[in-house]
Amino acid sequence: MDKFTIELIVANRYGVLNRITGLYARRGYNIDSLNVNETADPNFSRMLIVSKGDAAIQTQMVRQLSKLYDVKEVTLMSAVNFSK
Amino acid sequence: MKKSGAQIIIEQLCAHGADTVFGYPGSAVLPLYDELYKNAHRINHIITAHEQGAAHAADGYARASGRTGVVITTSGPGATNIVTGIANAYLDSVPMVAITGNVDVPLLGKDSFQEVDIVGITQPVVKHNFVVRDIHELEFTLHEAFRIANSGRRGPVLVDIPKNIQTETCEYMKMKPASVEMPKKNFDLQQAVAAIQASKRPYIYAGGGVVASGAGAELLEFSRRISAPVGLSMMGMTALPASYEWNLGMCGMHGAYAASLVQAESDLVIALGVRFSDRATGDTDAYEKDRTILHIDIDLSEIDKNVASQISICGDIKQVLRALLDILPKCDRKAWTDYVSGFKKSQALPHSNDFSPKNIIETTSRFCNDDTVIATDVGQHQMWTVLYYPFAKPRTLLTSGGLGTMGFGLGAAIGGCIANSKKRTILFTSDGSFGMNLNELATAVTQKLPITIIILNNGALGMVRQWQTMFYEKRYSQTTLYRKTDFAALAKAFGAAGYTAHTLSELEFALHNAPENGPAVIECPIDIDEKVFPMIPPGGCVEDIVIS
Ligand SMILES: Cc1ncc(C[n+]2csc(CCOP(=O)(O)OP(=O)(O)O)c2C)c(N)n1
Ligand SMILES: [Mg+2]
Repeated sequence: MDKFTIELIVANRYGVLNRITGLYARRGYNIDSLNVNETADPNFSRMLIVSKGDAAIQTQMVRQLSKLYDVKEVTLMSAVNFSK
Repeated sequence: MKKSGAQIIIEQLCAHGADTVFGYPGSAVLPLYDELYKNAHRINHIITAHEQGAAHAADGYARASGRTGVVITTSGPGATNIVTGIANAYLDSVPMVAITGNVDVPLLGKDSFQEVDIVGITQPVVKHNFVVRDIHELEFTLHEAFRIANSGRRGPVLVDIPKNIQTETCEYMKMKPASVEMPKKNFDLQQAVAAIQASKRPYIYAGGGVVASGAGAELLEFSRRISAPVGLSMMGMTALPASYEWNLGMCGMHGAYAASLVQAESDLVIALGVRFSDRATGDTDAYEKDRTILHIDIDLSEIDKNVASQISICGDIKQVLRALLDILPKCDRKAWTDYVSGFKKSQALPHSNDFSPKNIIETTSRFCNDDTVIATDVGQHQMWTVLYYPFAKPRTLLTSGGLGTMGFGLGAAIGGCIANSKKRTILFTSDGSFGMNLNELATAVTQKLPITIIILNNGALGMVRQWQTMFYEKRYSQTTLYRKTDFAALAKAFGAAGYTAHTLSELEFALHNAPENGPAVIECPIDIDEKVFPMIPPGGCVEDIVIS
């Protein structure tokens, strides 16, 4: 199955990471790598989450994550994004 | 002006029109209940027998009225008792705000008396939830809770408010309710219009989203305009009057034969405000095969989740239908609609006087009007109600669709009855489900609610037993109840009226005599082997349908 990376901009407060990983856990998708950093604006954090799934799963994850209250931006990183 | 946290809660409830709330007090909400006492003229608080009943009542109130239901409980066990009610509202997209008390902020995370992490527990079954750790966040948080519950695809929001936050004070800003009007959108309708015009056999599959967006009239016009019959999901049951000639009834596992067969004949499925639940589609490969799927829903994550669509529009159903109606010309498809109408007529069953579920439900319906709110529990009686009760207006059916919660019915009927100006309300239930939350009879009696409870008593967990008959070679593991409960006497012990009916005329007598100012229980013993037909076995398609 294809690896995919999702970049999130989220509210920087307690409990947010839990809500996000919960979405992956509920669907049984393993998180291969997770990276969280406070942004220049301390109200927000940037997350990079690497997981595996086909195109349908990737679209579903993006749409489900977008519904979370604490999630401000969701980007599905393509190979092109990486090479930049 | 400075106000206490408890006062701020009252003000925000009032600002959001929550003049009726359901709940149960306890130590962690004492400051709030003290303010409810002082504000009894502004907020009618209904005390139930159990917090689960309060949550279902708030849910039933919301379904019947379209407004946000509110439930209030104490911390710990009070909070955990509403988890089922919250999950139930979540799966059926019902707007609800749940307010729970908690221990003082300094005691959080220390396994204090009656402390549970209710925010953690409910996280997967709410649109969002909050803990208010700072009094200055309270007003905004409550305001957000109502906005979230009531916007887009609706659903429950929980706000956990530690006790010390209820007593601390801060400046009250008088925040007004946020507008929940859907912003006007320009939809790209080209592909949809082309597909509708090219179709020879279009079929509309309409669900709860139609009811939620108040698009019943638009749906009717749309169906007539494009000459497409309509099958409904359980959540969409009241979107169209049962009497409408091209309303084929419920689709899916226990749906009407016509709805399943016509779907299988169609070349275009126009899915409106549905999420293609497995119970409604069966085998999704067969469902999608040889036809175009046009999916319209307010929640983008539903598009292509369960059933892949070739064309989709994300938006409020009412807005999308209006936009389509603005440009779609009238289109007659005589061969298709004649086929559908003829098919629907041939399905009419011969009349009999048996004391069958169908006749019990139809007899009861003659004592009701178009506005009567009908609640159900979960099981065979629920399917019979949906199959045989002639629903006429939106929001007149309160039933647990997504979660299938036995014990939902009585609480929901209480909330629905109050939302519907305490007019006669009917609950169809059975021995198993009624046994789960019958304690709420006490609430219905105290509140003088004219709820007529029809117990289709088959002495069994009938729906599970039916599966055991069909798929487990009649090994009736733990489903034959044959309990000795005398339901009429039980009703009387609670202060309600109680009847037992063995014939349709005895049922008519009881319905006629049921009091105006309190609940009545009418036990109707029926055969343990009554089945719900038709049935499409799980994961099956129309070819697998079992008719009898
Ligand atoms: C809370 C809960 N527990 C278990 C079930 C599984 N279940 C589904 S239908 C059913 C039987 C319901 O029996 P009853 O209420 O008597 O209705 P009947 O099918 O007999 O009409 C059961 C146990 C459920 N839906 N909800
Ligand atoms: Mg039963």
